[in-house]
Amino acid sequence: MTKIAVTGIGVVTPSGIGKRQFWANIKAGRSFIKAITRFDASKYPSRIAGQIDDLEKYTHLSERLLKKIDAFSHMALVASELALIDAGIDIKNEDPNLVGIFLGNAIGGWLYAETELRDLYIEGREGVSPYMASAWFPAAPQGQVSIYYGIKGFSKTVVADRASSLMAIGYGRKILGKDKLNMIIAGGMEAPVTPYALLCCNTYGALSKNNARPQEAYRPFDKKRDGCVIGEGSGIIVLEGIERARGRNANIAAYISGYGTSCDGVDRINPALDGVQLARAIDLALNDAGLRPEQIDYISLDGLARQDWDDSEMQALKRVFGERAKKIPLGCPKSMFGNLLGASGVVDIIAAILSMQNGLVPPILNLDTPADSSFNYVTGQSKECEINKALVISRGRGGINSALVIEKP
Amino acid sequence: MKEKIKELLVKLLRVKPEELKDAVSLQDSIGVDSTEMVETVIALEKNFGIKLNPKEITKFSTINDIEKVILSKSTK
Repeated sequence: MTKIAVTGIGVVTPSGIGKRQFWANIKAGRSFIKAITRFDASKYPSRIAGQIDDLEKYTHLSERLLKKIDAFSHMALVASELALIDAGIDIKNEDPNLVGIFLGNAIGGWLYAETELRDLYIEGREGVSPYMASAWFPAAPQGQVSIYYGIKGFSKTVVADRASSLMAIGYGRKILGKDKLNMIIAGGMEAPVTPYALLCCNTYGALSKNNARPQEAYRPFDKKRDGCVIGEGSGIIVLEGIERARGRNANIAAYISGYGTSCDGVDRINPALDGVQLARAIDLALNDAGLRPEQIDYISLDGLARQDWDDSEMQALKRVFGERAKKIPLGCPKSMFGNLLGASGVVDIIAAILSMQNGLVPPILNLDTPADSSFNYVTGQSKECEINKALVISRGRGGINSALVIEKP
Repeated sequence: MKEKIKELLVKLLRVKPEELKDAVSLQDSIGVDSTEMVETVIALEKNFGIKLNPKEITKFSTINDIEKVILSKSTK
């Protein structure tokens, strides 16, 4: 299918707001995982996270708007603005009918919802804010971004657990490839550092309990791993057709050239251990990009830091790449700022684009003793690496597999 | 009374006091949306101890109109 240009990047994460700060921190291998301070989390088995504490400094949104929206919409609005500025696009100069929004989210806006549900039970129906109805649901950020910029084109929110935002970008690329739109704002947002959302993530059983050492807790592919750490944030990229991007002399950060998805269909939460369907999703993405496996020179891993998920991911790599799987540099930047669930895929894509631009792969934190030492994990510190074609893997509960190919312009 | 209404709206909707005009509708002065109107009606009922019917105060109401409705209800 047609290649699509990425012409703008907006990122809001615990590791930094804006791509420069984000890159400086992940390049240096700094961890931003710490004890949760937003509420009393002392009774939770896992009470650490990647949090964003200074979002207000980066926004000029009115208080009138902020009181109506959840943190995840706020993050998406800030990331969208950063992405549009980076792309040099003023939406006012665009045909609003030909601009679309494709976002991914896993759990909705619980900071807002929890507060209002508490009021419902304490004060009754009249205690609930009328904005509750439009603040909490997964497509709320799509609505808020469309209202803020007056966007009128075909748009969609994808809910597919941790694979949501990668799928949203894959979907957006398909629509853009069919010439249905001129440009798309694509990515995702997640704000899971709330009492109820944290409880659900804990119940699911995938979170690390290493509360004593937050910065060492998230250790994907390491022998001592005990699960991931959640994080909050948003990543947004601007997608345009190559001709249009070139025509307006846009700064093309990367091409998105392939996308594939599949389902394991074996368990309501856990993945298939054989990695067969993840391998098929990767094959589909490579075929879509018109590439052979040997042309991939960097892989960004999903890395949930649970044995079944990590092992099945490596099984899939062996199936697709054979012996070469052990030579390709492997990264997993989320070990530094947490797993942004529905927003994890887009932030991984952004990190991979920045790695490509800088010829440098940030380290997988805490990967001291790999469960399988035969792979080429980038550990310790950033490693110089010429990347021309990269694969980004994103997976979700219930066996959702997705893979995306990006290429250097 | 007008000042009390304005003060309430400023606090509730987070708008600037100078944006509210006595003889201009809430739609024309601050571009009030339908959800803000729901919130406004609930707050007026609570603050002034009155019950409002859906069509008595709308986005087309001015501060003067709102005052009139509240006064008529309060004296009953």
